[in-house]
Amino acid sequence: MFKLNSESSGQESSAHAEALFEAHRHEIFCKTDQLFARLMIVQWFAGILMALLISPHTWTGQTSQVHIHVWAAVFLGGAISLFPIWLTHAWPGAAITRYIIATAQMLMSALLIGLTGGRIETHFHVFVSLVILSFYRDWRVLIPATVVVGLDHFLRGIYWPFSVYGVLNASPWRTLEHATWVVFEDIFLVISCLRSIREMRSIANRTAELEVSERNFRETFEEAPIGMAVVGLDETFLHANARLCQLLGYSDEELAGLNTEEITFPDDIEEARQLAKSLLNGTKRYTGEKRYIQKNKDVLWASRTASVIRDKDDQPRHFLIMVEDITQRKKAATALQQAKDEAERANNAKSEFLSRMSHELRTPLNAILGFSQVLERQELPLVQRERVGHIYRAGQHLLSLINEVLEISRIETGRIQLSVEPVCMGDALSEVLDIIRPLASQRRMQIERNDFVSPETNILADRQRLKQVLLNILSNAVKYNCDGERIAVTVEQRTAHLRLSISDNGPGIPPDKRNRLFGAFDRLGAEVTGTQGTGLGLALSKRLTEAMGGKIGESQPDKGASFWVEFPIVASPRERLVSAGRPTLVPFAAPGREVKTLLYIEDNVSNLTLIEHLLGDEQSIKLISAMQGLLGLELASRHRPDAILLDLHLPDITGAEVLARLKADARTSTIPVIVLSADATKSQIDRLLAAGASDYLTKPLDVERFLKVIDQHLHARAPLVCATA
Amino acid sequence: MKQPHKRPLRRLYTTAILAVVWIATVGMGLRTLMSYENAPGRVGAIRNAWPAASKISPPIDRDVLVMLAHPQCPCTRASMDELGKIMAHVQGKVSACVLFLKPQFAPPDWENTELRRTAAKIPGVTVVSDVDGIEARKFGAETSGHTFLYDRNGSLLFNGGITQSRGHSGDNAGENAIVALVNDHHSVLARTFVFGCSLVDKARKGNRAQCLN
Repeated sequence: MFKLNSESSGQESSAHAEALFEAHRHEIFCKTDQLFARLMIVQWFAGILMALLISPHTWTGQTSQVHIHVWAAVFLGGAISLFPIWLTHAWPGAAITRYIIATAQMLMSALLIGLTGGRIETHFHVFVSLVILSFYRDWRVLIPATVVVGLDHFLRGIYWPFSVYGVLNASPWRTLEHATWVVFEDIFLVISCLRSIREMRSIANRTAELEVSERNFRETFEEAPIGMAVVGLDETFLHANARLCQLLGYSDEELAGLNTEEITFPDDIEEARQLAKSLLNGTKRYTGEKRYIQKNKDVLWASRTASVIRDKDDQPRHFLIMVEDITQRKKAATALQQAKDEAERANNAKSEFLSRMSHELRTPLNAILGFSQVLERQELPLVQRERVGHIYRAGQHLLSLINEVLEISRIETGRIQLSVEPVCMGDALSEVLDIIRPLASQRRMQIERNDFVSPETNILADRQRLKQVLLNILSNAVKYNCDGERIAVTVEQRTAHLRLSISDNGPGIPPDKRNRLFGAFDRLGAEVTGTQGTGLGLALSKRLTEAMGGKIGESQPDKGASFWVEFPIVASPRERLVSAGRPTLVPFAAPGREVKTLLYIEDNVSNLTLIEHLLGDEQSIKLISAMQGLLGLELASRHRPDAILLDLHLPDITGAEVLARLKADARTSTIPVIVLSADATKSQIDRLLAAGASDYLTKPLDVERFLKVIDQHLHARAPLVCATA
Repeated sequence: MKQPHKRPLRRLYTTAILAVVWIATVGMGLRTLMSYENAPGRVGAIRNAWPAASKISPPIDRDVLVMLAHPQCPCTRASMDELGKIMAHVQGKVSACVLFLKPQFAPPDWENTELRRTAAKIPGVTVVSDVDGIEARKFGAETSGHTFLYDRNGSLLFNGGITQSRGHSGDNAGENAIVALVNDHHSVLARTFVFGCSLVDKARKGNRAQCLN
């Protein structure tokens, strides 16, 4: 397409060049015609004057009469001159005109030579005339001139040889000699003419290319689908294209001379001034949004690109601006933002409503579940026991539904708290499988686990939420699989991620319903199968996985269903410690030093292992641990440790709840509690310090600070010693 | 639609007619002029020896060149130019005398022209007035510019004009013949046409001389 355009442009340029050349040539012909017309008149009168001065009379003895030269100058000179002069008006620039002029000019030479008595100086008229004829830049015009000179000599040689050569019998070589001088000059004049033509053609080609280029640019400028304008350095419009005029509602004439500030929205004027300054100071191009005031006083939102056009000395000449109407886009964006805000408000309201409703529902549900369990413990007739069982199971279902609704609500409102940290995938999976296996056994299902990576591999996730996601998928696999079938659990590495896949041999998921898999409350038709479920499990799993930075998806196996989750692989805290060359503890066992007890409440085995590793060789510290909050509270009451390390995300109750209970219990209220959390937000730190935490350490652990803090609370008088590994 | 075509066509015809007229007019004009310029003047009865009745002293020790001239004739300027060239070429071997026609009753400045002053300035040239053309008749000259060359014995070596045409300067046969006769004592040409104004009034004109080799 480009080549085609280029060829088309080349042809256009070539044709235009030819037209320019011809026009220029015609102009030269006409101007030279006019020059000769004036010259002919001057020569005519000069001839008359010469005749009157040189030979006014001829004498016969004592009587005189007007010399024939005078009559020749008047009439013959007039006859020679008037016809070519008329031609310059009748046929300006025509070939016949210049050929007649060339002939007449040479005849005039012959006349003048005769009038001056053949003075050698007058012969120069012939050579000067040839030079002036070359002004036509048409070498052909020299032909008739030369022919006339040759013919003049030839005919004189025949009829009056004495007058030409001074001898009665003229030699042809004399004719040749005379003609040679004329031809000699002709040769150089022809060369000059041809060279001039070449130069004219070259100029025409360059001019044509320039004009075609300029016309193309002008057309591009004029027909551009975006507004374009040339603006002076004083910010006045010099020229605007049709589109800009249409956008602003002004005509080109109205815009010309109008200052841009006059049609700029007042709030945008200062920014426009700064933009102009920055462009003049060297910024090459600027693109930004600006508001113009249209002629009908409406506001036009525009995306404006401006640049400075500079001359060859790099001095700014004017601005070039391109304006694109983005009013509709702006309106749409505003409407979209409003709609989004509205939707978010509605969603928040919905979540808030759900949250409140769920809480409100939990209260009566507590009574329902509680009393149904009380009733189950009593001696009831079989029928009533079955009815109570129905009440209890319905209550449990309602409770799980409420809990999941609350979870989703928390995620959507951003109120869910996650502790994303290195988690040992093998441990987490084992714990979940331990939970699910009894359920699978009831339906004679076998769970096969295939680890293609080290069980010690750590991923970045929230331990509790990861287990929740895995439990959801596995429980689905059990629920929707056929009795006696198997469930395959595969752990493998996918580049920098760890993928955990769970497959079953059940009926699978119909292809037309796969896109609805992760929608809330959508059970894909399972509600009619009798299989219990809320329709929120996968929706919740997806939100949780993505909130943790992982991915969740479903692949299409030949049989059954297969779900997978992926999380980024990270180094375990211990590996990170070693690879970073961080200080490790040098066993410090000062004689007589009192042994201190440190309680670590943490459900993440990796973190527990790390702390054990850091403090394992320190004989002055006795480390005890608890993987649940309630167990931690019990151990704190029983052992009265010297300090407590507390993780905030625990499987049963939150770390914040544990802290509150520790501070509320007189037995444990004085024990310093050091919070260990991946949440490093200032509001969280401030909240927990205000709640009674002695210190707040963020994960991943800064070991030096950790040891200092531990030392500060356990061995204030005898600091631990660190050394670089 | 036909009107625009008519005008160029009419103009074309006009041009063609004018071109023909122009060629004819100019051709005829030039031919007339050439004929006039190349038409030789009349000559009188030429004697082969110095005219005895002449008041001009005959040659004694060198060749003598005599030119009869009309002081008002514009064509004789060319003859005077050629005389200057001849005198330069012969360098003292010849004495020259130019006789200017002077009507008896003409005002004093009639013959005191630029032509006479030019002749007087040529080295070796004596300027003399020829009252009523008496001397011209004795020499047989009727056309201004007629030149005669006599040897020291008074024999006529050459007579004729020393221009190639009427009032036309430049190399010419007469000039070459005179120079050759003086310097080399030999020339194939002894007579040439004379181009110039008539020295004689119409009533006294003789027969036109023939060109002689």
